[in-house]
Amino acid sequence: MASTHRITRAAYLESLNEFREFIKEHCAGVSGINEEIIYDIQLAVDEACTNIISHGYADLDPGSIILDLEVDSAKLTVSLTDFGHSFEPSSAPIPDVDAPIEQRELEGFGLFFIQQSMDDMDYQVTEDGNKLTLIRYLRKKVGG
Amino acid sequence: MLKYFRVKQQPEKVVPDLGAISISLLERDATLPFTIRQLNNLPENIKRRVYRGLIPPALLTRFGIDPFQWTNTNKEPLVFLNAESNSEKVLITAHTSPDPSTEFFALELADNSLNGIELNLIVLNDPTTPRYSIDQTDDGQPTMFGTLKRNLKAEEQALQAGLAPGQVRAGLGGSRIVFEQIDTFLSMLGHRAYFLEPLTYASAWVFERRGFAYVRGHKLMDDIHREFQPGGMLHKRLDDGSPFRKRDQAHTVRGRAWAIHDGILDALDVRWDKIRMVKQIGRHAGAITFPQAEY
Repeated sequence: MASTHRITRAAYLESLNEFREFIKEHCAGVSGINEEIIYDIQLAVDEACTNIISHGYADLDPGSIILDLEVDSAKLTVSLTDFGHSFEPSSAPIPDVDAPIEQRELEGFGLFFIQQSMDDMDYQVTEDGNKLTLIRYLRKKVGG
Repeated sequence: MLKYFRVKQQPEKVVPDLGAISISLLERDATLPFTIRQLNNLPENIKRRVYRGLIPPALLTRFGIDPFQWTNTNKEPLVFLNAESNSEKVLITAHTSPDPSTEFFALELADNSLNGIELNLIVLNDPTTPRYSIDQTDDGQPTMFGTLKRNLKAEEQALQAGLAPGQVRAGLGGSRIVFEQIDTFLSMLGHRAYFLEPLTYASAWVFERRGFAYVRGHKLMDDIHREFQPGGMLHKRLDDGSPFRKRDQAHTVRGRAWAIHDGILDALDVRWDKIRMVKQIGRHAGAITFPQAEY
């Protein structure tokens, strides 16, 4: 049986700490979720929300970010819904992580961190908002 | 009540109309949304049958109105549908008697430029309570609910009677079942969400409680809450300088709403015209911008 939780906050940096605490509150103590996984989820949500705040709501009076968290025995699913400019993750530049540090671009690492922290990612633009879904499998898929 | 009276040009469609509703269209993808315009182009009896689903039957039977016939026991029509062919709006009003001043319900939905749905107007008035003419000046000029002009005397009386800005009468209650009905109606049409622009701070707070999130203005609502705290810029402006800026108004939704209606947001160099809200069908966003609020 999955447990589902939701929090809605304004899209500005001060809300990030509340999202982190929310994730910790609902993941800590859940079977199969250790501190490392919680940290990975917090990092991914931090990066995704920062993108929404910096780019999605750029030049707009910020609206909401809705964070949905679903936990079951096999996976942890985070959905972030916003109502700003849409963003196409596949069109984002891929940072050169092997480049010397002084030559690395400052932008573009957010998506990289998300991909490193999560197992699956999906992005949909619909009538009811831009929805980024991030999945972390607690039991790795066979052959995955 | 919302900014249904906002003067703006009809937005140009950025997506094509799907054409008239037909059996073959109904047989196709059931998730494809229908527009208000498509409904309005249906034959009259079908249109009426469809729009009957917009009013909770319990709201009508409460006033002795037959929810199928839309009449009272004397067979007088008390529910009125304005849904002209080719129009992108539908307005439904209901009265407790043939006298139009007994209107207790009004709802207007409209297509937007993305074939989404706008809730332009929702009114739930208790027609048995006193009416305050905040919507017109003493010489009968419309005030657009105090946003264009103000009838200060009527507004002060409304405030003292416990009303929020924009209200001509006390609320009827029952907004929960009305919003559930709208959700059901729009899901039947294939929509995933609908949008509105709240007229006042108090209405934004009510819509939050009904599950709306913010497309624009969530940060502004947080800023307003913060600045109404002791020491905040809005709190300082509650200086008893007018009936709408009493010191104790920071503690209540209505008090804040009246102060904002009176222009107190000048202190933040913003205006109450940036708020846009969204309701996801079947989902409650859980946004809270005034924790432990007293209405």
